[in-house]
Amino acid sequence: MKTKNLIVALALGALSLGSIDSHAQQENYFRAIGTPHKPKVEIAWNRYYSAEGLWDWMKKIAAAHPDLAKVEAIGKSVEGRDILTLTITDFSTGKDTEKPAMWIDGNIHSNEIQGGEFSLYVAWYLTEMHADNEFVKQLLKDKTFYITPTINPDARNNFFKEPNNANTPRSGMMVLDNDGDGLAGEDMMDDLDGDGHITMMIRKSPTGRFIKDPLDPRRLMAVGPNQVGDYEMLGQEGLDNDGDGQVNDDGVGYYDPNRDWGWNWQPDYIQRGALKYPFTLPENRSVMEFVMKHPNIAGAQSFHNSGGMILRGPGAEEDVNTYNREDIRIYDAIGKKGEEMIPGYRYLTVYKDLYSVFGGELDWFYGNRGIFTYSNELMVSYLYFHQQSGGRGSQDEQFKVDELLTFGDAYVNFKEFEHPQFGKVEIGGFKKTFGRAHPGFLLEQDAHRNAAFTIYHAYHTPKLSVLDVKEEDLGGGLKAITATIFNERMMPTHASQDLKYKIERPDYVSISGAKVVAGFVVEDADMRKFAEQKHSPEKIAVENVPGMGAVKVKWIVSSGSNYSISVDSAKGGKTSWKK
Amino acid sequence: MKKILLTGLLLGSLIGGELLAQSDYPTLSQVTQRLQKLGGNASVELKSLTKTEGGKDIYVLKVGTGAKDQKPAIAVVGGVEGYQVLSVELALQFAEKLVAEHAAALEQTTFYIFPNMSPDAYEQYHASLKYERRGNAVAVDHDRDGAAGENGYSDLNGDGLITWMRVEDPMGEWTLSKEDERVLVKADRAKGEAGKYSLYRESRDEDQDGKFAEDLKEGIAFNKSLTYKFPVFEPLAGDFAVSQKESRAMLDYLFEQWNIFAFVTFSPANNLSTPLKYSAGDAKKRVITSILEKDQAINAMVSGIYNETVSQKAFQQSNQGTDGDFFQWAYFHFARLSFSTPGYWTPEWKEKTNADANFLAWSDSLGRDAFVPWTEVKHPDFPGKKVEVGGIKPFAASNPAFDQVGGIAEEHTAFILKLAEMQPKLEIHNLKTEELGNGLTRISLDLYNNSPLPTHSEMGEKSRWLRKIRIDLDASADKLVSGDKIKLVDSLGAFEKTSLSWIVRGGGSVTVKAGAPHAGFVTQSVKL
Repeated sequence: MKTKNLIVALALGALSLGSIDSHAQQENYFRAIGTPHKPKVEIAWNRYYSAEGLWDWMKKIAAAHPDLAKVEAIGKSVEGRDILTLTITDFSTGKDTEKPAMWIDGNIHSNEIQGGEFSLYVAWYLTEMHADNEFVKQLLKDKTFYITPTINPDARNNFFKEPNNANTPRSGMMVLDNDGDGLAGEDMMDDLDGDGHITMMIRKSPTGRFIKDPLDPRRLMAVGPNQVGDYEMLGQEGLDNDGDGQVNDDGVGYYDPNRDWGWNWQPDYIQRGALKYPFTLPENRSVMEFVMKHPNIAGAQSFHNSGGMILRGPGAEEDVNTYNREDIRIYDAIGKKGEEMIPGYRYLTVYKDLYSVFGGELDWFYGNRGIFTYSNELMVSYLYFHQQSGGRGSQDEQFKVDELLTFGDAYVNFKEFEHPQFGKVEIGGFKKTFGRAHPGFLLEQDAHRNAAFTIYHAYHTPKLSVLDVKEEDLGGGLKAITATIFNERMMPTHASQDLKYKIERPDYVSISGAKVVAGFVVEDADMRKFAEQKHSPEKIAVENVPGMGAVKVKWIVSSGSNYSISVDSAKGGKTSWKK
Repeated sequence: MKKILLTGLLLGSLIGGELLAQSDYPTLSQVTQRLQKLGGNASVELKSLTKTEGGKDIYVLKVGTGAKDQKPAIAVVGGVEGYQVLSVELALQFAEKLVAEHAAALEQTTFYIFPNMSPDAYEQYHASLKYERRGNAVAVDHDRDGAAGENGYSDLNGDGLITWMRVEDPMGEWTLSKEDERVLVKADRAKGEAGKYSLYRESRDEDQDGKFAEDLKEGIAFNKSLTYKFPVFEPLAGDFAVSQKESRAMLDYLFEQWNIFAFVTFSPANNLSTPLKYSAGDAKKRVITSILEKDQAINAMVSGIYNETVSQKAFQQSNQGTDGDFFQWAYFHFARLSFSTPGYWTPEWKEKTNADANFLAWSDSLGRDAFVPWTEVKHPDFPGKKVEVGGIKPFAASNPAFDQVGGIAEEHTAFILKLAEMQPKLEIHNLKTEELGNGLTRISLDLYNNSPLPTHSEMGEKSRWLRKIRIDLDASADKLVSGDKIKLVDSLGAFEKTSLSWIVRGGGSVTVKAGAPHAGFVTQSVKL
């Protein structure tokens, strides 16, 4: 009864701010530091949401904050679901497309679910904190966030609603022929005990090499080389549906949506999981098309699980030279700050610390678009007992967590089952939502820390201003005007990868209201070295404004005292100065 | 530009009667008419896979009889480069000859014919302004300065052809060839030779950036935009591979056709007069960039057959694949046997070492008018300088006079049919049934690939996009005492066998079926 009332109150609170019930409730709340107080949209951060669940919250955020958030479908999934994106910025201070932007997505691997909630948390935190926090106010004046909590909605729902284990289905819902027999998906996983979790099958056997731990019968122990056991492992819960002697050998997929991106793409025999060509998948294609249409995106974050890592490219050793020293300095500065902000997470490089990947999302964002990008592997066993155990944790630790912190909720105890091919077996093991996914009580904290990291990242996208405009009388009716364009953040307007391939157009510094005779980029003001731009000198093309640095431009003009100077940079936004 | 194109089209379709069809390469509408005529044949399915940005159809012909998808297939591809108009005609004539004269080949083999992968570019051959075009009709910023297609060619001398312009310039890199004064060659500065000319494509500096024809008014080139060694960010290639409607549509279609075992592409690349070379170092890297060792032997064998069948000898042929091209994609990324030939070479003539000089000498000997003499023009970007326009006419060097095409098509049709005869061929030999008593029978047989080609090339074995050889015995589980109900075999080599046996309970008969779409199928009924 009580819970029912609460749910009603919550729902009302979310629907209408004016609700008397929710006001009455909120009088008994006291503000905790760092968390939105009396949010217009009340979201419980200790559970998971289906694709529809995420979209529902996104729409509610947009409805509650029309000046800060809008929601749009940027494409469709394989099964025809929307790929839904929130645009978050202070729309009253300029168009989203004219501010440096941060792209955030989650859940490219469908079983890596919490990227959805973590992405949503960023949107919720920024919109709900905006009214009370000066930093957030300024941030949304300066920047835009494009947030897509799930770029794999079909298989996200499959993970929750259909039988799976913690590792399935990593791909989307397209079904391919995995065993090369000419049939696709003819031997899927089978939920024999009907509990929604694909666990393990064991069988009593006089020649088995395992016993059940006498102190904890959930745990199977290998016997010594000189000992006889009484159980054998049969593998994953399932049947041999196609009669080829293999269990569960042709299921959903298999392909890897994170091997489908158009930078150093390689085919399946080189990079397992690749499809036919870059952006075969409509989900990824919709992201690519959105990013191509939004050259203001300067930073990107992709949420995966697990292991507690802040990853940067390159994904493959063959791409080592793509990531050059100047850009790595910036990657390092932000990544190392991330290690401080998210305890237990380590800042690593994919190809040398994890595994080799061709055609990954983060390499496309950086290599093809010049966007500084991280991929975070969410959830680390450090969060359980605040002890380093090297990322994904051991099974012993998981049993301990389930004993001391989750009280058996994480495990399906072994139960007998009459198997048509193996006879009497026992089925049991850890649930799909344990291990890679956060338990509820750890979700909000880790979501906040990762959100803070992406906010820090977004903060350091370029911020340009025109300062120190100087005039010098040259006699004969001519004067020289020199302007300094300053970038007060760490990221340059063009990554060095961008400069190398001319990915993005130059930044333009234009003067209007003056008759321009000649225009220059100032190479060295003290030594009076200038590079003249002969064609359209009133609009000087600057190839880059470095992070925490400046460029100077100079015009010689023959008239004009009420001139103005404007800066137009794809990744650095627009700014202007008026005399 | 659009207007000029339109006019070109109109003229093409107005004049394009029977007379022109016989004397020159066909217009797009003539190609379509011939395809539609072919499509009326019972063994031909004509399909448009998509329309390009320029509104042109990308056609495929699927030619075969009976269970087409269960027979090994060869794909024949033309128009990979829009300026190589010959390639479209060769693909088209192959289809016409196949249907009219060689229908018996369809008993064993299915053919896919993609006559023209670059119709937007092909059209330039018949346009009022003619130039060798590669790109489709998409707007692309080739020089990556923020504005698309803002400096293409200009017809400075008003002859309707885009050739070259040379500017008298003591700082220039070019000088006159000693073999032929019409031809420019790079001055050999290492030997102290000074240059006399700067050389550019016939153009103006429309965007005033000091460069000429660096941002063409054409889009992405099909043959430079596939995934193998994709030349990212280069002009005509684009930002990522397979970005265009026509390339995606073709690949999407090919990935559904499991029976293709080989490609024959008419393109500038050539591994038929000379096979590809094997490099152990490049073949063993993770990202493979050399033909694999066993496949090199196949290439050499097929090349031998090509050289016996095709009378022309290759001359000054150095292109064995370029980055992002189609023919290498078909092997390295689609894992099929892949062969390419330009179909035509300028013959070696009078010991000229320079290709242009050789071409002109040969062309002169035939009385062909293939050169625009250097003529002075006024050029706004070179005030006070002597600028002359001239050079070899577009299309002249890469396409023969149309009256030569018939013979070339005849020989290449013969070659493709010989390749088809070599296709993997599964047979069952040494079938034995032995009574073991108590109703048990042992069945044993050899599955034999009676072909000089393996069922899977070395590359093919690696790919998930070729099916394995699958052997099925249609006995129910309770009747099958031993042996596999379904067995998958990775590959059967040339003239190689694999031995199989089963023990089956009971009487009646069972059927063994073995094969894969690209290797064909064989079935055998066995009486118990």
